Order: sequence, then C-alpha cells, then structure tokens
Amino acid sequence: MNTRKLITQALLLIPVFLLLVLQSCKHNDLEIEKENENFRLATDFIKNNYDMTLFYAAVEKVGLTDKLKENGPFTLLVPNDAAFRELGINRPSDFSKINQDSLKSLVERHILTRRLLFSDMPHNGVDVRYATLAGTEVYASMAGYAPGGEAFAVNDLYFNGSPVTRKDVPLANGTLHMLNKVMKYTPVMTIQAWLAARPKYSIFVAGLKKFGFWDQLATAGPFTVFAPENEGLKAEGITEASIAEMDVQKYRGTRLFGSYILPKTHFFLSDFEVFKVNNSQEFLARKIDNDTWFSFVSITKNFFTKVITGGVNLRTAPSYPNEVYGSAGADVPALSDHLFDNGVLHEVKGVLLRPEQALKN
Amino acid sequence: MPQLRLQNILFCAAVLLLFASGCSKVDYAKIDDPAYLRVFNNLNYVVGLENKDEEVPFLTMLIDPEMDQSGMPVKAGIKGDFLDQREPYAPPYPSHVGSSISYKNPEYPGKENVLVGPVLNGFDLSSWAQIPSGKHRIVFMFRPVNNVPFFNLESRLKQKVLIDTTIMLDSKEVYTLHILQKNFLTKKNGIYLRKENFHKLSLSDSLVYVNFYNMSAKGFQESSNELKEANRKSGSLRYGIKDNMNIFQSLFTSEKTMLSPVYSSTYKFMGQLTRNSEVLEVSKYYSFPLFADPKSNGIYTNIWQRFDLMSIGMNPANNPYEPFLMNTDGNWAPINCMLDGKSALQGNDNGAQLPNMIINIHSGIHNPRSFATVNTIEIVNGNVYLTTIQRKYAPPIY
Repeated sequence: MNTRKLITQALLLIPVFLLLVLQSCKHNDLEIEKENENFRLATDFIKNNYDMTLFYAAVEKVGLTDKLKENGPFTLLVPNDAAFRELGINRPSDFSKINQDSLKSLVERHILTRRLLFSDMPHNGVDVRYATLAGTEVYASMAGYAPGGEAFAVNDLYFNGSPVTRKDVPLANGTLHMLNKVMKYTPVMTIQAWLAARPKYSIFVAGLKKFGFWDQLATAGPFTVFAPENEGLKAEGITEASIAEMDVQKYRGTRLFGSYILPKTHFFLSDFEVFKVNNSQEFLARKIDNDTWFSFVSITKNFFTKVITGGVNLRTAPSYPNEVYGSAGADVPALSDHLFDNGVLHEVKGVLLRPEQALKN
Repeated sequence: MPQLRLQNILFCAAVLLLFASGCSKVDYAKIDDPAYLRVFNNLNYVVGLENKDEEVPFLTMLIDPEMDQSGMPVKAGIKGDFLDQREPYAPPYPSHVGSSISYKNPEYPGKENVLVGPVLNGFDLSSWAQIPSGKHRIVFMFRPVNNVPFFNLESRLKQKVLIDTTIMLDSKEVYTLHILQKNFLTKKNGIYLRKENFHKLSLSDSLVYVNFYNMSAKGFQESSNELKEANRKSGSLRYGIKDNMNIFQSLFTSEKTMLSPVYSSTYKFMGQLTRNSEVLEVSKYYSFPLFADPKSNGIYTNIWQRFDLMSIGMNPANNPYEPFLMNTDGNWAPINCMLDGKSALQGNDNGAQLPNMIINIHSGIHNPRSFATVNTIEIVNGNVYLTTIQRKYAPPIY
C-alpha cells in the first residue's frame, strides 16, 4: 500500500519536473513583426511599388504628385505596368508622346474623390457610379454571389470593365485598388466619331453606312458595338469595293452588319462575368432588331489573372436546335471596353457572316 | 440563528432594491384611430443581362415624407426601410422579428419595431402595422442593397422614386398594399391597395378558407418566354398563366406523393380566376372542411392541398399535359400547399411549392392540434405567394 502511494505521489511530480525542464530552455526575445500603422500617402505608395512605375510616371508627368499627398480622401484605381504595356506604353518616356491634356484626364479618371472600400459597395451592385477627379464617373460592378450562395462568394470588383486584381490596399489618405487593364474613356465623343477617325475600321464603317446603321451611332444610344477590323473582313472577302457593289435589297443587312451592334445596351465584357456570378446567366442571346436571328455574346475569365476575353457569334435561335455562324473575338483586353458617352465599343477580330450567307432567298 | 441572519440579509437586499429601482412613469406609444396596413414588394424580377439598367427592386417606403427643394426626401412620418422582394410565404405571425439575422425586410411591418394590430374579431393582426387613418402621401424609393438606413445614404442615392401617390385609409380597416409591375412591356410599376374583409365575414372555424388573385403584369403570359428569364421561377407558373383560369382543388393525405387522395375532394371545381391588377376588390373565399379526411380523429389532420389552375374548357381529370412539363403555354399550373413549402413532390412535378395552409401546433392538451386558417394565394408574374391568417388559439398545457 505504501509503495503504491509513493508511486502515485511520484507520478504527480512528473509534470512539475517537466515544467522545470522546460523552464530551463533558452528564451530568445520573441520578435513579432508589428503591423505597419503608418500607412503611406498615395504618392509615396505608388512611387515605391515596382508594379506601378508607369502609373507613377504618368502621375508625375501630369503634376499630380502633390495633389495625392493632400488629405483627400482618394481612391486610386491603379492599372499595373503590364496593362500599360499592352497599350504600347513601355517606359515612362512614352508618356511624352501622348497629348498631355488627354494624359492628365486619363490619370484623373483613375482617381476617385472618396475613400471607396469594397465593403462600401452595395452588394451585387451593377453600374454603381462614382465621381472621379476628372469630373467624370466610373461604373463599378460587383460579382458577389448567387442568391443563397453566401458561402461561395466570389466578390470580384470591376471598374469600367477593368478587373480589380487586388482590392482595399490602405493608404494614409485613402485606399487603392489594383487593375489589370487601363480604363478607356473618350470624353465628349460618340462611337461614330471614334470609328470614323480610325482607318482600320474603314470597311466596317462602309458597311454600316451602306445598310443604314451608321447614323444611329451619333445619337445618345446607348449601344454596345463589336467593331471588326479590316484585316478580318478582308480575309473573308469583304472590302470597301465589294460593299460598294452590294445591292442593299438583296442582302439582309441586319445580319451582315446590324448584328455587330446591340442597341439600347451598354455592356462591358465584365458584365457577363458579373451576371454569371450573381444570376448564373452564362451568356446573352439578343434578338437582332428587325430580324429573327440572335447575336450571342459570351466571355471567359482567366481564373488566375482575372483577364476577361469574350466574343460574339450569330445564332438562328438562342438555344439548341440552332445554327451557329461566324465568330468575332475580343481577345486582347487592351482593345475591349472603350467607353463613350453613347455606349461601349469592343474591338474584335473575325467576321459574323459572309455576304453570300446573308443573301435573301 | 443563522437562518434569522439570512432572513435579515435578504430583507435588507429587498429594501435596497426598492430604493434603487425607484418609480418612473412609462409612456406607451399609442395611435388614435388606427388603420392596419401590411405592405408587400411584389417586384419579383432579377436584374440580369436583358434588363441591366432596371433598378434593383429593393425599396424604402416613406409615408408622409418631407421633401427639400430638389424633391429629395429628408424626413418621413413613417419609414419602412430595406423592403426586399416578398417571400413565398407570409406567415400569420411576424416570424421575421425573432428568426432572421438579415437586415432585409420581406414585408412591412415584418421586422420593424412598430405598433401592430390587435386580435380583431378573433383574427390575429400582429403582422399588420398601425397607421393613423386618413389621407396619406406614400412614396416608394429605390435604394441600394446595403444596410445603411435610407436617410443616411448619399443624396444622389435618395432620388430614385418608384411611386409617389396618396392613399386613403379608413379607421379600423385592414389593408394590404402591393407594389406591382402593371405592364410587362413598358415596365410600368404601380400600387394595389386592397381593403380586406375577412374580419367582417362570418367564417367558420372548422373550414379552411382560401381566395385567389392573379395580379400579374399585363402582357406577361403573352410575351416570349425568353423575356421572362429575369423573373423568379415557380413550377410551370414560371411563364405565367392565362388571364382566365379555372381553379380545381384536391386534398391528399400521403406525404410528398399524390397516392392517397381524399376522394370526396379531388379535382373539385372552386371557381374562376381572372387576372386583375387594377380593380380593388376582394375575391370570393372558397372553403373546404378542416377534417375532410374521414380517417382523421377530429383533432389532427395531415391533409395537404393542391390547386390545379387550368384554362377555361380544360379539366384536370382529362389533362393533356405531362406532369413534368414546365411549359404548358399558360394552360395549366398546379400549386402544392404541402409541408413547409420547400420540399417538392417525389418525381418530376411541375407544381409551385407553398407551405400547408393548415396550422398544426401544440394547443391545450393536444400536440399537435390542427387549426383552420384564412388564406390568400396571389400569383404575380411567374411566382406565387401564400398569406395565411390565423385565429387566436388556446395556449399549450404541458
């Protein structure tokens, strides 16, 4: 009995010994990295960030560095360097080639005059407008989650169709969202004027004029236009000369050229992603005005880079059984989502329909 | 001895408590001459690709608002904020108050902490808010989907008026107010104020009553089905029903199947349902016995209800459509009032789902005991809603 008691007592001592042994270990001072409480001002932050060198160069060029040191608050929508490179701007000196007023307006359009955190956005909000330093507005859209799918929230953010790759970076005088695409907006210009000034769309313009779709592009709209460039049209045998020879009565112009225009809509490519998440709408099949066919728009989002590319084709009916014609892709992010006062334009490669397919029987 | 000391301590504590609590006068909120109002937001569309520029149907109701010079509301007598699209079931008691953690309110008063109606002629009106009777200006505003109270929003977000109108509420009357889409093609919205009469009728408590409304927008059923994708879906009702339909009622006792019908009540013709989103009149109440099932014991019954809406000239006994068919060209739409309204019939059934109309609850010594209710089934575009009103029943005895 006595031995048993002894053993029990000894067992009780084990934790005490262990404690003593552990105590004797060497204790280095544990250093916990302190969170940075002194957030930097907007100017300093973008100056010190290696992926924002081109945006900083632009800010410096147009003389906004001091402005962005003020109290603000500001929200900076900063396109990364890759986004500028896609536009052909590779080094800071390239900004000298741009009209300085346009450049200033471009930079100012990427700065909101408020602190806009992701949590400030209305849930699943689409086309929520916020004022910019340039006096214009940006459209912000959120791909939140499908009804009832709170647990699987996507919570992606888009400004004028440009995906946000990193949101809510705190600044001393505001916040910053990183974009992978430059927001393109041409103030006080219609889609018609923009197309007319670009020779690479001369065949498309000629077609629109021939079949009577041209004049509407100067009106308030809005329109979503998928503009095919000359190269692709020529490859399918459509040239200015061939359009001039066409007899308007013999062709279905609505299919041949009207199908590139979605009237009364203004779709950024990102909108299709937003509604895919919010409503599980995978695509848009929109009936062409005065025709029985449909323009069919769908997009893909790269899971890793968040880059959105898309395209349009023609369908005889929205779903199977139907026939699918042509394909025009907006594959270069830098060339899509041009915002105008009367709509959105996407530059596409490819043709929806060859003239012989649009012949009336 | 220690007992005495304990008593002393307790006594002192009690005296202290009396002093500490003191006296105060409580002012109870009271509305003289109230009318009773319940508001539903029936705008059941979803903003999608086809209607991207339409406003999200998330509303604020302002009664007797004060506007500033620019027409922006700055104050209101009564505010019903965060008014979301209504839920398929409007229960007879304000269940949202205790059981929801969302800021969204599926009806007014719903979660609002306001004075509610009394038990009127036996009917529990606790889902109706008291509103001073008389003439009121009522404004519904679109608001963004977030939890910022309406008057704290930025001014640019307080300007989108959905409806601005006046309503007349009579003293001690019961009203339901619906925000509706009136025209599917023009997307015109409006309101529909119905003066209910269930509390004035001599309704038996051994019969279950139900009336029907089709408050769908003009042109909904006739429009192409591709245009209806943005609307909430509910069985074969999703594409709408024709303007004139016959209602047939059936009762079943088997759970989630139609294997054991109550034979006396199968495909029983009830009456006609006409689309109406303008004329403000109460539809006729149809009834069926609470204990229609001869096998029930008179205390509890497990019957559930099925209503077949069929276009004029058709009969469910000779139904040309397969029971799994969602697209019936608006000719046939069954509605199942079964269980909690979330579980469908076994197999592919095209019925819309609603909860059972009969309330089964512990009352007196019986658990459960079945109670008859007064119900309203409302069809709005592609969806269907059930409002149940109950009588007061005896509390449970454990």
